[in-house]
Amino acid sequence: MEQFFYYLKVSWVSIKRAPLPYALTVFILSLGLGVFFANATFYYQLNSDPLPHKSDKLFFPMMMLVPYECADCKPPSVLSYANVQKLKSSDIPTAEAAMYSSDGYLRLDSTALPTPVKVRLTEPDFFHMLEVPLLHGAIWPDSKNRQEIVLSKAMAEKMFGSTDVVGKQLLLDDRSFAVVAVLDDWQMLPRLYDANNGNHVNEVEDVYIPLETGYDLNYLSNTQSQTFDDADYRKLASDGRSKALHQLQYWVQLDTEAQQQAYQQFMANLAEDEKKAGRHPSPVNNQLPAMRNIVAYFGGESGDIKAFALVTLLFLVVCLFNASHLSLNRYLSNQYEFSLRRALGASRWQLQQQMLADVLLMTVFAISGALLIGFGGTALMNYLWPINALFARWDLTLMLFLLALTFAASYLVTLYPALRASFGALNQQLKE
Amino acid sequence: MIQLKNLSKVFRTELIETHALRQIELQVSEGEFVALTGPSGSGKSTLLNVLGTLEHFDEGDYLLDGQSVRGLSDRQLSALRNEKIGFIFQGFNLIKDYSLLDNIELPLRYRGISASDRKRRALEALELVGLAARKDYHPSQLSGGQQQRVAIARAIAGQPRILLADEPTGNLDSLMARQVMELLEQINRQGCTILMVTHDPDQARRASRQVQIVDGQLSDAAMYDPLAAKLA
Ligand SMILES: Nc1ncnc2c1ncn2[C@@H]1O[C@H](COP(=O)(O)OP(=O)(O)OP(=O)(O)O)[C@@H](O)[C@H]1O
Ligand SMILES: [Mg+2]
Repeated sequence: MEQFFYYLKVSWVSIKRAPLPYALTVFILSLGLGVFFANATFYYQLNSDPLPHKSDKLFFPMMMLVPYECADCKPPSVLSYANVQKLKSSDIPTAEAAMYSSDGYLRLDSTALPTPVKVRLTEPDFFHMLEVPLLHGAIWPDSKNRQEIVLSKAMAEKMFGSTDVVGKQLLLDDRSFAVVAVLDDWQMLPRLYDANNGNHVNEVEDVYIPLETGYDLNYLSNTQSQTFDDADYRKLASDGRSKALHQLQYWVQLDTEAQQQAYQQFMANLAEDEKKAGRHPSPVNNQLPAMRNIVAYFGGESGDIKAFALVTLLFLVVCLFNASHLSLNRYLSNQYEFSLRRALGASRWQLQQQMLADVLLMTVFAISGALLIGFGGTALMNYLWPINALFARWDLTLMLFLLALTFAASYLVTLYPALRASFGALNQQLKE
Repeated sequence: MIQLKNLSKVFRTELIETHALRQIELQVSEGEFVALTGPSGSGKSTLLNVLGTLEHFDEGDYLLDGQSVRGLSDRQLSALRNEKIGFIFQGFNLIKDYSLLDNIELPLRYRGISASDRKRRALEALELVGLAARKDYHPSQLSGGQQQRVAIARAIAGQPRILLADEPTGNLDSLMARQVMELLEQINRQGCTILMVTHDPDQARRASRQVQIVDGQLSDAAMYDPLAAKLA
């Protein structure tokens, strides 16, 4: 241990001998790492799996159950109400929920100023499947029409100033709703249940009402809504339920391989039956992507972010080269001391330990600099692309990864020059 | 204790080969004080470096205490340099950012000696060269002769059995040179074997034995010289 502190001291003395080149080395390293960090943060968060233990058990069925003929079309990514009912006739899934999203205005009473809110219209299993934490109350037992609302924690606090507000009334678009439940803090990142609209980078909704209530009260979808016949998309309660008005996302939970196969078979049978009945002219095309693959399925991976990640990686490599070059100069000018230590009996292994101390110090400085630049970088990116702001979050795994990367970079920057310096001819330097 | 058998050393650069040492035969026994003389470029420093295992050789063999240094691992060689050999360089080679004490402790660090022991030994060595009062000075605050004495203290702090000195008085005026010489003689009297490169015939004569090297070869003067021994 004492020896280790000695190594640190030696490193420190040699830094003080030429502080400027060292600072420049650290700065270049920090710059490369910091810019890389900033980007890696987005990349990591955007590609992270919010439900790793379950994302291979939740599936998003899609079928070519449409009144038009198209041989090589993908099935629409949203289902009609009628199609959902047909899919619901199966009891294979452990859980299932249809859903869509809409906008509304919320206020406590008719004298208060309205607050715009994002509304999700869904069914009870939504909360079970996605493991949404409940703070107070209970979710509706089914999705029948009832004027009952579930609030996010933040919205409850905003409306009432507290969270324990079950039983209280408020106005959603000037219709009276009773609060039945308040969610605990919940943020699903990315929000994979809405990936078909490319909305997985957004925040989760503020309020939730039953699906049937949404249809009865004519809450129109604020994202994707397609009609393939004479259906009027504004008449949700009537046309929306019977005609080819597609706007529902539908998730099913299939826990086992057997369930998944059985469900595929069920979909195949359903498509055959529908064709036989002459309702759907297109060839059968069933899709059942898992939540884990849903972003890729819809091609929602941002090309910009990928290209940017590549650029920052290249930038990091350039910085590493430069830092390594600077470091080489530093070590060559210190080579005299290396040789002296060798001549006085330090083994190569002992010099390696000295280098390790150098690497550690470099890591400490570089990670500090890199975090500073990384913070600055993410702040800048949040400013430039506010939509990505949700993803500028640093968690422990990411930090550990960045720390390991910094250590590796410092090692690379130190290793080659130090090796060159310590393997040089011994007597050469000592001659003068 | 030291035995060189038919030892040769060639420096190869892209352009030329320099035969720095040719078929050297040399034996040095425990307690001797050997002066190594010869014209510039004759291979004195090279020989000393080979003896200090700072330089490899091409042919022949080098036995230290009856054991060949050929085939020793880096670790073994380092330990040998650290424990058996003390090196005094022509250019002092002190680290200027370190105090005298830190400089002297340096070789002891790599031997795993405890902090208190290290300090005691370093202080003893400084005492011997008469600079104990300035242990916290830095090398730049000392005169050339004092710096060379610190370098000697560093070389002897680990109580080596062999002291290799490459023109230890080369950079010093005659008064300081005499002081350093007296110091070396004192160390030698305590049983340390010394090989010293020098250009000064007076100094060479004070050694127990003179070895002359010309063009990489030991010349006749390498024979034992009883007269020189008597004078010493
Ligand atoms: N690293 C080296 N590469 C090539 N040639 C070398 C090297 N070191 C020494 N030499 C050559 O080997 C020969 C012996 O050099 P050495 O340094 O041993 O001489 P010296 O006797 O110590 O001289 P001086 O009295 O000037 O110090 C010289 O011709 C020198 O040019
Ligand atoms: Mg020389």
